[in-house]
Amino acid sequence: MGPDAGGATEALLDRARRGDARAFEQLALELERPLYRHAARMLGHDDAEDCVQDALLSAWKSLASFEGTSFRAWVFRIVTNRALDRLRSRRRHPELPLDPPAEDDDSGGWAEPAAPGPELADLASDREALRVVEEALAHIPADQRAALLLRDVEGFAYEEIAAITSTEIGTVKSRIHRGRLAVRNILISRGWRGSSG
Amino acid sequence: MHPFGDLSAYLDGALSSEARASVQAHLDTCALCRTRLAELRGTARLIAALPAPVPSRSLVPRVSIPVWLAPLRTFSTFASGAAVFLFIASALIATLPRAQSAGSAPAAAPTPNALSAPQATSGAGGVAATAGPGSFSVSAPSPAPAPNTDKRSTAGSSPTPTDTAKEISTRQDSGNPSAFAPADQAATRPNRAAEPAPFAFLLSPWLWLLLGVVFAALSFFLGRRLRST
Repeated sequence: MGPDAGGATEALLDRARRGDARAFEQLALELERPLYRHAARMLGHDDAEDCVQDALLSAWKSLASFEGTSFRAWVFRIVTNRALDRLRSRRRHPELPLDPPAEDDDSGGWAEPAAPGPELADLASDREALRVVEEALAHIPADQRAALLLRDVEGFAYEEIAAITSTEIGTVKSRIHRGRLAVRNILISRGWRGSSG
Repeated sequence: MHPFGDLSAYLDGALSSEARASVQAHLDTCALCRTRLAELRGTARLIAALPAPVPSRSLVPRVSIPVWLAPLRTFSTFASGAAVFLFIASALIATLPRAQSAGSAPAAAPTPNALSAPQATSGAGGVAATAGPGSFSVSAPSPAPAPNTDKRSTAGSSPTPTDTAKEISTRQDSGNPSAFAPADQAATRPNRAAEPAPFAFLLSPWLWLLLGVVFAALSFFLGRRLRST
């Protein structure tokens, strides 16, 4: 979840930058699963493996050009870009504007509960709720999904997400909010009631 | 005016201190916004709690492994298979009925003779006499071994006719060309009296068995190297 762990990762990164292939492989191994889960939720399982493998290979080849501080954020950027590219090429008609309007959501965007249900906060262990969330994530626009996953699953800060997705921080804020609201609305529409806590 | 658009950023600690204080002040007085905030928090927690899919294979590119390693392994695997096939084939040839080999032995006799004959160009009569029936000295070697004859000549190897005669008699006794390594000779002696000398070793089953084992071992170790990272 957190940013790059300290000394060990730094040392590996230094070695990898100087051409140490084994150091790079070790770095990549630490990120393999997070990258895959991100790509799989962006693309589905089939394309995700190829996407991550291609991205890691590309990272190795362009490691010399990496000048940032967070290797993790840099590799996530490569994977996210590739995933979005694949989604764009998969769909002839891009279903979403890349830069949604920056206006604040008004209260009309909040769906009301259809029926009383268990509180959202209690559903984290509920398999059915997680299935609904997964389904909801698959239905929201890809750039919102990317931002939301980078935030809620990978724990990146808004600034990092802006760098990863090459956007303004205001756009990141909007995407995360809209994406989260959309998932919330789908949950609510399935009969769950938000926690009042 | 409810600050709905800021609630997610508030939840994530991504607001400026000013905006944060403003939202906080509103939340203190607005039950609806507190509910919305709790819903968003619950949604974020559900997203974070999603079961993580696991890749079915390693996705880390093997950049520390030389690019030629995988092709070499594939080659070794196929080479091993081919060698085993040739081992079986040569073993079958080696066990052909002996009568057939014996029958062809006289016809092949001039071949080793021509091989060791130094007189392809000078045409010494003594050797020509042993070389073949009714042949002139220049044309004594059959077309096939001619290059070998040249090779021998240029190499400066010039056995005397006596040596040649001795060799021939040895060959006819042992049924095996003498121009090869003792090990090979020992392995092939019993069955192949009449092989063309320069390529006879290719019919040694043991050669192919050895190559098969060597390539299989190479393939095995390369495979382990490819799998370990």
